[in-house]
Amino acid sequence: MDALELAERAVRAADADEALALVNRERSGQARFAGSEVHQPTLIENEVVELQVVRDGRLGLAASNRTDDDALKALAARAGEAADSAPADPAFAGFAPAAELPTVEGYDEETASLPPEEQARLAAAAIDASSLDLYGYFTSGLTELALASTGGLAHRQAMTDAGVLTLAAVDGASGYAEETSWRVSGVDPVATAERAVEKAERTRGAIELEPGSYGAVLEPYAFAELLLYFAYDAFGARGLIEERSFAAGRVGEKVFDERFSLAEDSLDPRGLPKAFDFEGTPKERVELVENGVLRGVLWDRRTAGEAGGGQQSTGNAPPASAKQWGPIPFALSIGGGDAGSTEELAELVGDGIYITRLHYLSIVNPREGVITGMTRDGTFRVRGGKIADPLVNLRFTVSVPAMLEQLHGLTREPTLVNETSFYDERYPNGVLAPAVATARFDITGVGGGPGT
Amino acid sequence: MRELCDEAVSAALAAGASYADARVHQRRSQTVATRNQRVDRLDDVESEGIGVRVLVGGAWGFACDNRLSAASARATAQRAAAFAQAAPGGHDRALAPVEPVEGSYRTPVEKDPFAISLADKVEQCLRAEQGMQHDGVKVTAAFLRAQREQKLFVSSDGAAIDQEIVECGAGIDAMAAGDGITQIRSHPSAHGGSSAQAGWEYVESLALEREAPRVGEQAAALLRADACPAGITTIVVDSEQMELQVHESVGHPTELDRVYGTEAAYAGTSFLKPHDLGSLRYGSEHMNVTADATTPGGLGTFGYDDEGVPAQREPVVAEGVLRSFLTSRETAARIGSGAGGSMRADGWSRMPLVRMTNLNLEPGEGSLEELIAGVEDGIYLETNKSWSIDDKRLNFQFGTQIAWEIKNGKLGRMLRDATYTGQTPVFWASLDAVGGRDEWVLRGLTNCGKGQPGQYAHVSHGTSPARFRNVQVGFRS
Repeated sequence: MDALELAERAVRAADADEALALVNRERSGQARFAGSEVHQPTLIENEVVELQVVRDGRLGLAASNRTDDDALKALAARAGEAADSAPADPAFAGFAPAAELPTVEGYDEETASLPPEEQARLAAAAIDASSLDLYGYFTSGLTELALASTGGLAHRQAMTDAGVLTLAAVDGASGYAEETSWRVSGVDPVATAERAVEKAERTRGAIELEPGSYGAVLEPYAFAELLLYFAYDAFGARGLIEERSFAAGRVGEKVFDERFSLAEDSLDPRGLPKAFDFEGTPKERVELVENGVLRGVLWDRRTAGEAGGGQQSTGNAPPASAKQWGPIPFALSIGGGDAGSTEELAELVGDGIYITRLHYLSIVNPREGVITGMTRDGTFRVRGGKIADPLVNLRFTVSVPAMLEQLHGLTREPTLVNETSFYDERYPNGVLAPAVATARFDITGVGGGPGT
Repeated sequence: MRELCDEAVSAALAAGASYADARVHQRRSQTVATRNQRVDRLDDVESEGIGVRVLVGGAWGFACDNRLSAASARATAQRAAAFAQAAPGGHDRALAPVEPVEGSYRTPVEKDPFAISLADKVEQCLRAEQGMQHDGVKVTAAFLRAQREQKLFVSSDGAAIDQEIVECGAGIDAMAAGDGITQIRSHPSAHGGSSAQAGWEYVESLALEREAPRVGEQAAALLRADACPAGITTIVVDSEQMELQVHESVGHPTELDRVYGTEAAYAGTSFLKPHDLGSLRYGSEHMNVTADATTPGGLGTFGYDDEGVPAQREPVVAEGVLRSFLTSRETAARIGSGAGGSMRADGWSRMPLVRMTNLNLEPGEGSLEELIAGVEDGIYLETNKSWSIDDKRLNFQFGTQIAWEIKNGKLGRMLRDATYTGQTPVFWASLDAVGGRDEWVLRGLTNCGKGQPGQYAHVSHGTSPARFRNVQVGFRS
């Protein structure tokens, strides 16, 4: 059955003033490997129906992955009970109205129909290309989202994604590379593994580094993850409204280097395109930072209603399981610069450090955008404008705004960095990020060396 | 459901599997969350399905399906076997033996959490929020959860086990902001409160309404507190922060799959090596950590793990020496020690992984006040705020919501934005006292991430406050 048809059946089952049903259907395979053999394969077939109902201004939600008629009736009853248990919410802005969706790419038939045996073969291709032990995965999947409502909403999008993640590692050496696309033909497991090996070979004999403030080159993997963590809090409307995030009181101000621009852009075919958010609002490109000036944040219907003043949703409603975070980014796009390569960025830094990838980030101070974490799988000293000695994993504790205040440059072309967590239901997303060179990156400690 | 599992296992064996197991999980969970006196979440979610794991020629295959029918059970088993046959790698695998068991387990429950109406749950949240109102507090939030999961496990080794796990949890947060500063206080634990394997009686024991005024007052007071000074000093860590300290710097490094590198690309590895077993000095003689799948109320408590291995209680670190790893049947066979017993899956759609059960820091002696009394000059730290640790679980940095200066054995001024950092074995070697049994508290967290696709494990830790000497607070200047 078509996902939209299922959503419409769920809406019809509801006994409510208004109802909105979301269907998330997944067929995916992930061939996860370690030590060059698959150890955690997962083939998933699932469909989840989430039904929100409004009764007398009260809102409740129930979800189930049973989809026969009896199950939908039971689902509607549970959603109704949830609504009856809530106090009326006068600020509830209603479900999203029917609207025309933007035309987006993001679906590829070859990817959608890739069989498990082919997923295993593509994992094997990466493994066979590595002269070192290889860790990571090959994955591909089809995700269908559909939304229907009593108000005439009828959205449906089928999206595909494929990704290969490789960590080439032995004792004392490790290197990392990944590729993601909505087309399986857009990822190359062999080339990805080879890049990981090449990086790993350069990390042997890693030395320690004295804590301090350094100029730094961050590859797209590192820059994307750092920006995403910062953006969860700094660019969400909830933190702004509650006057506790970095953006509070700073919208309209020039707070970053003029070389830095940032948007949320689900429409870009170089990313993992989306036509609508989890409330059914059509996606649009949202400018967050233009030439260093903080232009705005991301909104969903709820926060837009709370803010008033004609504020509209920007199409960034989270899934129900992440509602507590408020609107969040799923498609950050960082503006590029003039540099042709990370080597050029190292020349701009002169003396500093080079970072491939980050690990275990945590927000230390949300108001100032201070984040801590570790580097891993390719950290180097930059000396005389060249990428030089390998370094052990470094602890950093950086104010992201301070880091973005003085940039030496960015590379021209962005890389799509996969940020899909693969927890809960599949929802492919990533960040389009260039590499960056910054004048300030604060190292506050050292960890273990590279490798397993 | 037993027939479905039998059907799946039979189909897997017919497809060439040397071993197969099938799990049917049926889970229902309710979440109520309020924020600034409005309902933020009011969800009633159920999920069910079958997951089939097979070994074919030594290669693992795993497939799952939400449809619970004989046809889908067979098809799922066949897909898992087909993948395993195509899986790359050497596949030299053995499993530690386990006695075939037909057994069952039920969480002891006094008050069925699903018999408490959602309306009552909303009301409890709103009352707790009301208690946190205070000048300077911009956000109040309250959260309650309940979950029931029925699990049936059948294996080709002859196991047939049904279990029913019931969990409840709750928490409150107050966030204050002013003069460019943002602060938070939580009870009974940060990042989603605390959960236990128990009925609604656990939520009642957390006394959200009673604690709410203190939480609000402290959040507001932190806006006026001095920033914690940096330096090397003695710290006393409360039992809540010790929960995360144990989790991150003892629990994860002792997972034997991480030691063997299976999480290298994502969650990371471990500074421990297989040959460290029985000899590595992890910490001081005051350090005793036990993995206990029988702890009453623990989120890691069960009758049998998701490989059918009975619950165990094992010392992991005894008097500071590494005594055991957390194992699966596969990793136990590989190291030649242990019997598995730590394998759990996050529902029917995920393959079981080595996860912590209840990893407890065994109590020492004395009260929190006595720990503090033994400090001439130091810092007392309470409730986690930020956490990060490297991929080998060596370098960590934790921040806490609140701290107090200790001078001459007494608490002094309140401090904000405290962090401390260290290297795992060096830090644990500096442990010089653990609080006694009366200070020992079992708390449960539900957001322990691992695996790709990702899985959340629900894990409890029993901890007392503890004292560490010569620790870096703040950042090195």
